[in-house]
Amino acid sequence: MSKGVLVDLTKCIGCGSCTVACKLYNDNKFEKDSPAIGENPKLTDENWTIVTAKKTEKDGQPVWRYVKQQCLHCEHPACASACFAKAFQKTEEGPVIYYPHLCVGCRYCMLACPFDIPKYQWEKSFPLVTKCQMCSGKVAKGEAPACVSVCPTNVMTFGERDEILALAKKTIESDSKYVKHIYGEKEAGGTDWIYISDVPFEQLGFRTDVTTTPLPEYSHSFLKYTPYVIVGWGSLLTGMYLYTKRRNKIAQEEKKDVHL
Amino acid sequence: MAATNTQSWSFRLTPTRVLLFILAGMAAAIALWRLIVGLGPTTNLNDQWPWGLWIGFDVLTGVALAGGGYSTALIVHILHINKFNEIGRSAMLTSMLGYLLVMAGLFLDIGQWFNFWRPFVSWGYHSVLFEVFWCVSLYTTIQVIEFGEILTERVAKPWHKFFRKIMPFLLIVGVLLPTMHQSSLGGLYLIEVGKLHPLWWSPFIPLFFLMSSFFVGPAMVAVETSLAGRAYNHQVDLKVLRGLAKIGGTLMVIYLALKAIDFSNRDAWQYVFAGGLESNMFLLETIGGVIIPLIILISPWGKTRSGLVTYGALTALGVVVNRLNVVITGMVNYYGPGYIPAWTEIVVSAGLVAGGILAYCFIVENFNILGHHEEHEAA
Amino acid sequence: MDKQKARSTEMTRRGFLKMFGSLGLVGATATLAGCSKEPMGGKGWLPQQYQAASSYPSQVRGRVPIDPNNPSIMRDDEKCILCGQCLEVCEKVQTVFGHYELPVKDEVICVNCGQCTLWCPTAAITEKDDTARVLEAIEDPDTVVVVQTAPATRVGLGEEFGLPAGSWVEGKQVAALKKLGFDYVFDTNFSADLTIMEEGTELINRITKKSKAPLPQFTSCSPGWVKFCEYYYPDLLEHMSSAKSPQQMLGALIKTYFAKEKNIDPKKIFSVSIMPCTAKKFECSRPEMNDAGLHHGDETMRDVDAVLTVRELARMIKNKGIDLNKLPEEKYDQLMGTGSGAGLIFGATGGVMEAAVRTAYFVLTKQDVPEGLLNLKPVRGLEGVKEASLDIPGVGTLRIAVAHGLSNARKLMDEVRRGESPYHFIEIMCCPGGCISGGGQPRTALPPSNEVREKRIASLYAKDASYKLRLSHENPEILALYEKYLEHPISHLAHELLHTEYTSRGDKLTAKGSKLG
Ligand code: SF4
Ligand code: SF4
Ligand code: SF4
Ligand code: SF4
Ligand code: SF4
Repeated sequence: MSKGVLVDLTKCIGCGSCTVACKLYNDNKFEKDSPAIGENPKLTDENWTIVTAKKTEKDGQPVWRYVKQQCLHCEHPACASACFAKAFQKTEEGPVIYYPHLCVGCRYCMLACPFDIPKYQWEKSFPLVTKCQMCSGKVAKGEAPACVSVCPTNVMTFGERDEILALAKKTIESDSKYVKHIYGEKEAGGTDWIYISDVPFEQLGFRTDVTTTPLPEYSHSFLKYTPYVIVGWGSLLTGMYLYTKRRNKIAQEEKKDVHL
Repeated sequence: MAATNTQSWSFRLTPTRVLLFILAGMAAAIALWRLIVGLGPTTNLNDQWPWGLWIGFDVLTGVALAGGGYSTALIVHILHINKFNEIGRSAMLTSMLGYLLVMAGLFLDIGQWFNFWRPFVSWGYHSVLFEVFWCVSLYTTIQVIEFGEILTERVAKPWHKFFRKIMPFLLIVGVLLPTMHQSSLGGLYLIEVGKLHPLWWSPFIPLFFLMSSFFVGPAMVAVETSLAGRAYNHQVDLKVLRGLAKIGGTLMVIYLALKAIDFSNRDAWQYVFAGGLESNMFLLETIGGVIIPLIILISPWGKTRSGLVTYGALTALGVVVNRLNVVITGMVNYYGPGYIPAWTEIVVSAGLVAGGILAYCFIVENFNILGHHEEHEAA
Repeated sequence: MDKQKARSTEMTRRGFLKMFGSLGLVGATATLAGCSKEPMGGKGWLPQQYQAASSYPSQVRGRVPIDPNNPSIMRDDEKCILCGQCLEVCEKVQTVFGHYELPVKDEVICVNCGQCTLWCPTAAITEKDDTARVLEAIEDPDTVVVVQTAPATRVGLGEEFGLPAGSWVEGKQVAALKKLGFDYVFDTNFSADLTIMEEGTELINRITKKSKAPLPQFTSCSPGWVKFCEYYYPDLLEHMSSAKSPQQMLGALIKTYFAKEKNIDPKKIFSVSIMPCTAKKFECSRPEMNDAGLHHGDETMRDVDAVLTVRELARMIKNKGIDLNKLPEEKYDQLMGTGSGAGLIFGATGGVMEAAVRTAYFVLTKQDVPEGLLNLKPVRGLEGVKEASLDIPGVGTLRIAVAHGLSNARKLMDEVRRGESPYHFIEIMCCPGGCISGGGQPRTALPPSNEVREKRIASLYAKDASYKLRLSHENPEILALYEKYLEHPISHLAHELLHTEYTSRGDKLTAKGSKLG
């Protein structure tokens, strides 16, 4: 079964420990002009996770909420389905991981991800696509990802996806402050990282128009015809080729013009 | 006129060609620089806009415009409609060059270019791009082999027989593959659901790509033969052009009808006249690139050479705008403005085209392309 | 793109060869990368920090949140190792972090004490650097830059220059400031004495019921403590003395009294203070701290324009290439440059109380202050909560209590809240040990040790004992100030310039275990 993380946004204080943990664990660089926390941080090749301070409103009162963002590790990852070299793969434990040696660098994954997670090493000669790997090494050993384990307020709960989903349901049902929506339960066909919040998700910059159909199905709805096209269209073409050729030959023999 | 088998190689240098050479040379230099230092320093692509002019123009548009090859191949070689024979070779040559340029453009655009062969061994078959990749690379190979038939008329002559033998197979596969990848290029954008503007995103986008790539074939032939005709004093019979245009026109009508049905199904009419960048670009592409050409075709002007050339040019431009709309305009709303092609990207794109024109001229001047009337002897 | 262009035009032959050299390297790494079949991502916590990549770092615990607009402190993420020391001090010693309910409201809760800057092992958290603004003012010939130095700075600064903890560098500090180009150097000890006059008078008013404000009265000179009270005990703000802190009193006087005496346009004055404290940066930016401005009809004028911590001052001195140890001792400028021993011991926990008691005794009894009050043992030292009862002839028993470190403050505050507080006067210092161990002091021991604190404290008390002038009300410059300008404590003008009000911040958080807010 796949593992997941429940992110309870009501508990986040914006300390940014998780962003630092991610860099310390994955050896990613700190870039002064591209911070991982603040009001407008950006996911980049070095920032696999960011925490955005959202100054918003709740019940007419100004409130600040902090949104930790990273790859959601979709159950049916669009990025993996988009990669034509299998550089992105979903592991059995949940993490959607990336194999640099397979990547060609077409960046279709970046376009495909409904959450715009994968980022590119634009400044490198041989750039790679980067994103949160859910600390796949740790998860494989049954440990929580680095960012999860350092959070001082326990914003994140690591566990089996169905268990954390049940926990999420219980939490939002038992406490009226939560909005009755588990982000990631259905989005993009379900993600392994799921969020609960007391402020509507669209106010927090979440994409709320994401389809609930797993994105790979869109491609599949088209690709499934490929074999039929090959066989059908192929034989039709061959047939037409042979037929028209023969007809022309006969016509030629009869020294007649063919009008079509 | 075109070469006969005993002539020596010839290539005239005119001022235009010098200019084209300079352009191609600059493009080559930039391309080399890009391969060394990466994409960041040499393009305006960024995390927000991972795909830009090179994919939009060099690849998507290039493949569509080169579609003339397979539509004429279908008409000439599969349906054996002999009256179109005389344009067969030139259309297929343009197509082959087009595809080679597409491959070059793609090669420049991929980050780990030394790894380009990877999908041949690591099969990401869930990806539409996988189909595109295989089809485009196979098709390009096949076109090069097809060209072998022409080539061996002049060099490595002993092979000519062999090439003639395998031609039927090549032709059939050579129509099959483009059918697949022309549509799958549209299919790439299926996964952009919710990102690509509803004016372009549609579950039928593969079909629209396929149809437009088909009807742009005759249009391109009209433009190209008139250009080549002027340059090489070789005029293709007006009847042939008109016949082709009629086939294209019919398809364009069906295309429009399908789009209308699709828009009704998806409730997308509201966006058509909504004003703003998207709807304006969409109207440009549809009115300027489909409806007006159709009107020209029906009108008496459509019976003249200039009318047909205008029809062809507008249709081709319409497809160019359509592809760029899908890659760029249709994404602006989602990604926000943040990408204007860098001069380097523009020069490389232009340089690729320049290189293509030069290669076309060279081949036309040295091989039997324009004057060819294929006779179907027993194969 | 432009960068690239510039680079390519600058390309020399050597550069060209170098480029190809590095190309080879790039190629080699690429091939290597191509050979590895590992997925992307870390294999363990950063090796250089934890010796070997592994899943079991010794200490990775997370850290305190810091608002990017915090006027007092900032953090360099790159230096942070998530050791959790900042959390430790903030939560356990200062009881700020972790003492409010989640979700947060619309503020990052912080009292600006800067203790975390002292505990952070890598100096990832530092004071917000204001030296550039000060240097700019100094360089402007039209600006009169006036500076004041807090009591505790003179037993801290030396440590930045290799001297043992607690070394007395008052004269050298003045000399260094003059050398840096400050036009006037005044002593916050002077305004500490003034604080005693105002705050002491206020206390007497409360005790004698001249004022309706409740007892016990709380000291108000520690801005971290004030903010803490505003957050967690907003219901007790009436107990807070309305007297401003010495820094703000002196700030207000520099742009009024001093400007008038020296005939300087107050708009041309840039007022700086050297503080052992990061919360002072917050205090000077509080909107209401513009009384001199209001007095002159310009509400944008700040009483204090910039606060530098001792560490920033040390940095400025070092950057100028000045060797503090070699400087001669110099004296403060007159008018507001004299402080009593009572003012000096403001820097240590219990010091404000001792100073206040000395003067209150005199005011209430009109008798000489007895020896016992010149060495008020029960309120000295590092015990968290200290208390004493003093018999004041003809008045009765004065009950006092002292706490330092906000976790200790909570003990006294909860008592007050329950209505069980027996005290008349409570001194609270935000930082453990008082200002001598404030968040702006040198990072001499990590985390700050009592040994260092004790040395700094001892240095203050030793100087106090050696002074002739040990009582605030005897400070001749204070007497002159009242005579020439303010008339008497809590006069109308004194009230306008030297007293303030507090804002409840109870709505900025929901304190844990309370139904308030
Ligand atoms: S969030 Fe994006 S990058 Fe992450 S698994 Fe899903 S599609 Fe892939
Ligand atoms: S799971 Fe691991 S890789 Fe992903 S954001 Fe957290 S620390 Fe970074
Ligand atoms: S570590 Fe926890 S509290 Fe801090 S920013 Fe990350 S998720 Fe929020
Ligand atoms: S300055 Fe004080 S209150 Fe603020 S974070 Fe640091 S220790 Fe906590
Ligand atoms: S004390 Fe310093 S290094 Fe340690 S967690 Fe806090 S900020 Fe980071």
